[in-house]
Amino acid sequence: MPIWEKRRSALILAGLVVFHILLISIQIPRGAEKSLFEKSLFFLFSPVQRAVTGVVRGVGSLWTNYFDLRGVRGENQKLKKENFFLNQDLRFLEDRLQLFRSEAQVRERLAAFQGTIVPARVIGVDSANPYQTIVLDKGSFDGVGKDMAVCDRLGNLVGRTIEPVSFKETMVQLITDKDSSVSVVSSVDGLTGSVTGNSGAICELRYVLASSTGGQPGEELLTTGYDKIYPAGLRVGSIRSLEKDESSPIFRRIAVEPYFRFNTIDIVAVITKAGSGAR
Amino acid sequence: MRETAMKDVLRAFVATLIAVLVYSLAGAAGPALLIVLNAFSVVVLYFSVRRGEIFGAFLGTACGLVQDAFSLGVFGVSGLTKTLLGFWAGFVSRRIDVAPLFRNGLFMLAMSVLEMVLWVLVTAVVRRESLNFHGGLILLQPLVTAVLGSSLFAVERRLRARGSRGA
Repeated sequence: MPIWEKRRSALILAGLVVFHILLISIQIPRGAEKSLFEKSLFFLFSPVQRAVTGVVRGVGSLWTNYFDLRGVRGENQKLKKENFFLNQDLRFLEDRLQLFRSEAQVRERLAAFQGTIVPARVIGVDSANPYQTIVLDKGSFDGVGKDMAVCDRLGNLVGRTIEPVSFKETMVQLITDKDSSVSVVSSVDGLTGSVTGNSGAICELRYVLASSTGGQPGEELLTTGYDKIYPAGLRVGSIRSLEKDESSPIFRRIAVEPYFRFNTIDIVAVITKAGSGAR
Repeated sequence: MRETAMKDVLRAFVATLIAVLVYSLAGAAGPALLIVLNAFSVVVLYFSVRRGEIFGAFLGTACGLVQDAFSLGVFGVSGLTKTLLGFWAGFVSRRIDVAPLFRNGLFMLAMSVLEMVLWVLVTAVVRRESLNFHGGLILLQPLVTAVLGSSLFAVERRLRARGSRGA
């Protein structure tokens, strides 16, 4: 009997294990672009995710509309949508007013923002750790691309778009992800640093020198715009605690509580760079 | 025989799609639910026990890679752990009787724990960072997987019994 017949299971397992080890090893060190195979899987399954989420939401909405609130619900949704855009506009207005003294500059900047917000629905959450990524129902056809800031309905920073970006779906790296980094400044004492996730509910403010003074629990952190991904002035979170870092005498250990909540990110706003977003 | 195998391949494909959808719908329920629930492991365990180690290994590869495609981690880590999970589950269930409910639950738990240990080890080696256990919540994942997996078999047995009584 040939060895293939005798050891068929073991040989198949060995082949699959070698395939995975090769797959993993070509991605190390991390930071490389996503492979074509990984992108293809995302392209293949994300429309299914989108379709069924749409059907489930549609059936739920039909049920509620017909048996429950009917007209009131429609009005409520309209008001919610208006409120969503008003909140976004208000936030950007405040931010821009702080940053630009000249009235002409403020007008110019706001005109640019009007057309750069693309509202999107969340259709999926990371399958390994919910604090890493989410999937949106808007893609390259809607003007969404890589490295665009994503905010919740209150204007709080949620994360940034990353690859894969398909025609109608996009993956978003949350600010709570371990590999995420956002350049921020504290609103009162002006502490500057980088908010990095921990793949959990709490983030860290890194690279704040131990010799620096100021900073209090509850102090708000805003984006600086230095990273060229997130526009300046977006609300990120607040300082939760400040401690001396025993392991690193150079920097302070600062815990940050992000503002966005999972129950408020059913609808988000993608801030496109080109200003071609539909409203 | 061939027809049954094809049916199981189709069923496994549908089950994988359902697992993808779980992550769409359960997201609204909050992150805690998604930490304790691994729908792909349930699918792999269920079909590996039904069809054996080779089917389990291939299904584990497919489910794991789909899970990796919807996650930011290193592509292939879940693929590797689920391939081994499918193989082990299929291999062991062919040699010992895992049909009784309690034994089935225990078997699923042991397999899920093994998968988690392997996932922790591989992730630690690949990422070279400490893992976030979400305050220990993630340790409940094998238990939830075992309960869901053995519940599926219990439901299947009950339906079969009802079907044979009706015939």
